[in-house]
Amino acid sequence: MTAIVDCNSFYCSCERVFRPDLWNQPVVVLSNNDGCIISRSDEARKLGVDMAIPYFQARHIIEKNKVSVFSSNYHLYGDMSWRVMETLRILAGDMESRERTGRPKVEVYSVDEAFMDLSHIPPDGLVSEAKHIKDTVEQWTGVSVSIGIAPTKTLAKLANRLAKKDKAASGCISVLATDAEQRAALQQTRVDDCWGVGRAYASKLINWGITSAWELANMPEEWAHTNMGGVTGVRLIRELRGIAAITMEEELVDKKMIATTRMFGRPVHDLREIKEAVATYISRASEKLRRQESAAGVVSVFIVSKEQDHLANFRQGATISNHTTLPKATSLTHELIKAAVGLVEQLYEKGKEYKKAGVMLSGLVPDNSIQGNLFVPRAENEHRFLMHTIDNINFSMRDDSVKFGSSGMNKDWKMRQALRSGRYSTRWEDLIRVR
Amino acid sequence: MELEQFYGLGYKGSKRFTQHDIPTANATGFGAAADDYMERGIDLNEQLIRNKPATFFMRVSGDAMTGAGIFNGDVVIVDRSVKAANGKVIIATLNGEMLIRRFEKNFNKIRLVPETPKLSPIDVDLSGAEFSVWGVVTYVIHSL
Repeated sequence: MTAIVDCNSFYCSCERVFRPDLWNQPVVVLSNNDGCIISRSDEARKLGVDMAIPYFQARHIIEKNKVSVFSSNYHLYGDMSWRVMETLRILAGDMESRERTGRPKVEVYSVDEAFMDLSHIPPDGLVSEAKHIKDTVEQWTGVSVSIGIAPTKTLAKLANRLAKKDKAASGCISVLATDAEQRAALQQTRVDDCWGVGRAYASKLINWGITSAWELANMPEEWAHTNMGGVTGVRLIRELRGIAAITMEEELVDKKMIATTRMFGRPVHDLREIKEAVATYISRASEKLRRQESAAGVVSVFIVSKEQDHLANFRQGATISNHTTLPKATSLTHELIKAAVGLVEQLYEKGKEYKKAGVMLSGLVPDNSIQGNLFVPRAENEHRFLMHTIDNINFSMRDDSVKFGSSGMNKDWKMRQALRSGRYSTRWEDLIRVR
Repeated sequence: MELEQFYGLGYKGSKRFTQHDIPTANATGFGAAADDYMERGIDLNEQLIRNKPATFFMRVSGDAMTGAGIFNGDVVIVDRSVKAANGKVIIATLNGEMLIRRFEKNFNKIRLVPETPKLSPIDVDLSGAEFSVWGVVTYVIHSL
C-alpha cells in the first residue's frame, strides 16, 4: 500500500507552531510581494477567505475578523518541510531501505507532501500505522498532517482528498483497503478532482458524459490509450482500478534548468536597477548551479513591463525575453552576470516601467572545473576556488555576506515582505522568546 | 549532565548532520603526516541534539528559572520528541503564551513551577485553560 502524507495548510501551520496565541485563530499567508493569499487556516476558510485571490479582494473580511496576515517566510517553511520529511524518512526506515534494496521508502512530492511506501505493513495494521505517523509528525514538528492510504498513488491522493473534506469525521486519515471502499471513494469524486487529470482533459471528459472518477475507472484501456494521451491515460485508468502503475521515484536531484524570478517591490524604470536585480538573480541561480556541480551553456533573461491600465495593476504586461549561448559552459558567477547584463541592455526600453524580472540557466552539463583540472588554464581553477570560498562564506554567514558589486548595495527594488515573521528555526537572532 | 536522563532505551531519533569540509594542513607544510590523523573535530550538535527534526532553540527572557541555572538571555535546546515527565523543565503553552517552567504532575493535577522566589507556581486548570507541553528542555547554553 502507498500513503500520501499532506500537511494541513502548511504555511499557516509553520507560522502557528511558534505562536500558541494563534492556535485555533484565522491565519493567512501571502505570496511573494504580498500579492495573493497562498495559504489559509481552516478558521480563515470558514470566514469566506478564498484561495489564490489578490490580498486586497479579501482585505475587508480580513480586517473585520482580525485575521492574522503573514508575508511568506520561505526560510521557515523550508526548514519545517525538511523536519516533516526527515520524520517520515525515520518512521519508514528510508535510509535502511536505500542501503539494502536501493529503493526509497519516502518520495518527497512537494514542499508539503510526500508519498510513503507502506508495503511492509499488514492490511489490518494500516489505520494504526497512519495514526502513528500522524501523531509522531505532529509531536516532533508541530505540523498537522492528513494521510490517504490506498493500493496506488492516484487512489491515495483521492483518499487524502476525502480525508481533508471532513477532518472531524475522518480524523484526517482515510484508508481505502477494500474494493468496496475504493468504489465508494471513486463514486464521490469528480473527474476534475482526480490527480493526473488536467483541466483540458477534465472538460473533455465531462463533455463525453464521464463525470465521476468511478465512470472513468470503468472505461476500457484502449479507449484511454486513444483519447487520453496514450500510455499516460492507460496508467491513470489502471491506477484508479487499484493496479499500481506509477512507482516510487527517486527525487530529481539534478535539475535540467535553474530559474530565479522575482517581482519588484515597486515599479522600476532605471536600467541600473534592473541590471542590479538581474545580477542578484544570477548570483542566486549560479549558487544553485554549483551546488549540483553543473555548468550552464545558455543564459536567458526576461523582464516584464507594467500594464498601462492602472486599474488592473495586478495583471501582468508583456514579457520580453532573450537568451544567449555561451562559448563554453560555465559555473562562474561573473561570467554569467556579464552575459545576463548584456541581455538586459538589449531588452530594456527607456521610459517603460518594469515590475518583474527573471533569469534562467539551461544547457546544463557536468562542471569539469569543479576539481582542479590539469588541462585548463590556471586562472580558471583559481576562479573556481574563489566561487567555492564565496559559497562557503554565504552559506555559513547567511544572506549574501560576499557578493558581486554589480548586484548593487541598496536593492530598493527588492520584494515587499512587510509582514514576515521571524526565521525562528534557522537564525540565532530570530529565536522565539520564552518567559 | 547525563544523556540518559532524557532518552529511554527505546529511543529512536535522527542524528544525521551535514558533514563539513576538512581542510588539509597543506599550508603549514606538514600536510601528509597530519592528514593521516585528521578527524572531524568536536561537533556540539552531536552532543546536544539527539533528534534533529524535533529539536528547536529558544531564547529565555526573564528570571523564572534562575534556580535551575537558566538565566535571562540564555539559549535553551528544546526537544519535542521527549516525553514530559514529572520534574522536567519544559516549554509550556498556557493561554497563548510560551513559558519555561518545571513540570509537576500528580494524579490529574498539573503545576508549572518557577525556580525563583519572585514568581509563584501556576496551578493549571485543565478544564478552563488552554494548556499544552510544547517541548522538553534538554540543555541550556549559558555564557559566563
